[in-house]
Amino acid sequence: MASSSYSNSPCAACKFLRRKCMADCIFAPYFPPEEPQKFANVHKIFGASNVSKLLNEVPPHQREDAVNSLAYEAEARMKDPVYGCVGAISVLQRQVMRLQRELDATNADLIRYACNEMPPAAATSGQYGRRSGHGSGGGSYNQNSSGFYYPSQWNSNNGDNESSGGGSM
Amino acid sequence: MTHKSGKGTGSSSSSACAACKFQRRKCIPDCPLAPYFPADQPKIFQNAHKLFGVSNLLKLLKSLDPAQHAEAMRSIKYQANARDLFPVHGCVGVISQLNYQIRLLQEEFHLVNAQLEMYMYRQQYHPNISSISMADNVHLPNSQLQLGMPLPAAVTDANTLPLFNQLPHPYTDSAAAALSSYSNTNSNSNNVGYSSTSCIHGSNINQHPFVPNNINSSCSMAIQSHHPLSLPLQQEQLVQDYDEIHHFFDSIDDRQSYIESKEAYDCSSEESIMKDTTQSMEHVAENELKSAAACFSLTSVSSIK
Repeated sequence: MASSSYSNSPCAACKFLRRKCMADCIFAPYFPPEEPQKFANVHKIFGASNVSKLLNEVPPHQREDAVNSLAYEAEARMKDPVYGCVGAISVLQRQVMRLQRELDATNADLIRYACNEMPPAAATSGQYGRRSGHGSGGGSYNQNSSGFYYPSQWNSNNGDNESSGGGSM
Repeated sequence: MTHKSGKGTGSSSSSACAACKFQRRKCIPDCPLAPYFPADQPKIFQNAHKLFGVSNLLKLLKSLDPAQHAEAMRSIKYQANARDLFPVHGCVGVISQLNYQIRLLQEEFHLVNAQLEMYMYRQQYHPNISSISMADNVHLPNSQLQLGMPLPAAVTDANTLPLFNQLPHPYTDSAAAALSSYSNTNSNSNNVGYSSTSCIHGSNINQHPFVPNNINSSCSMAIQSHHPLSLPLQQEQLVQDYDEIHHFFDSIDDRQSYIESKEAYDCSSEESIMKDTTQSMEHVAENELKSAAACFSLTSVSSIK
């Protein structure tokens, strides 16, 4: 796993842990010695043992993504110990809900204008059926939006949020 | 197993908390983890333990104000559950998904808003004009340019036949974007959560007006001739859907979204396979269809008028 480029100097993980960087070091490809802070964050928040276990469960071609996401989460948790990256999720979920409300309102206006402009019912349904489908509140977009909130919606339910997430596993 | 009485939490008053139970230790009355990991939810503790570890959880609790403990543990549990569901991306996958959804909503909002403004303008200055007038054709290119969308070639020649000119482009565009934007595109599958997400996207595409256009081309011609704004929406959405799915989630299985997104890609793939053999035939057929479509749009517009 460890490439020859890491043979000269130990990877950031082994340097941090003050151990010999072996040829099959699982951290070496993803924690180069030039980025010591990346491993330091991950180690502080998750622990090297947890990270190595997690990496072992992931296929090799996805390990880089896994390490990068862990590094992002660790950095976010360092900056905001209370919420970590979940704070960003909360902000984004609120933004989605606000946009959905604005879109629904604009769709409702659009339907009103379209209906005013086109008295024949047949023409209205033929032309604007899909629009009205989106804008009628319970339309397809709302259903999709609810589907996006996985594993569970952070904002809505306070205490039972985790139980719903845990129950689905 | 230790069974203790007098726990801090009501739900686990008769047994050790999930943390102590998992570690097979005595759950003392002031166990710092007991309020957050009740005995009846062992999986949640296992997730948190697997990602963070008990010592890190205790360190975090110690470093925080007691008033923040509940929120911190809630976010920890959410993060751990997300990592359990999506071992590769964890919460970052959720963030990417939300970003994608926001972009979709913004695009949709801009389109609907542009259409609404068109209606408002027409009602203000031309209250008696029919919506099936040539004003649509005049407004269409402007709104597309304002929205920063590519002007489809079909608008310029016939305004009726988007299928032949546009279908191959979203496919190639999305593939190129996926290759350039994500470093390792070879990571597929393994993720149930993302598969279901791509199902969501698939259903989104299925609900999109692009479907009837592909299934019934004559219907699409009629709709196109009536309602030109549906054209940019189709193209933009299609490009964006596939672009974004690959961009944010390389682990989404391509096959499923292609399956979910019906004949459009069958057409394009067949087209590429059969290109050499049927090219001349396609040209003939395309020209015939174009002329027929042009006639059809003219007749339909005039008949409705």
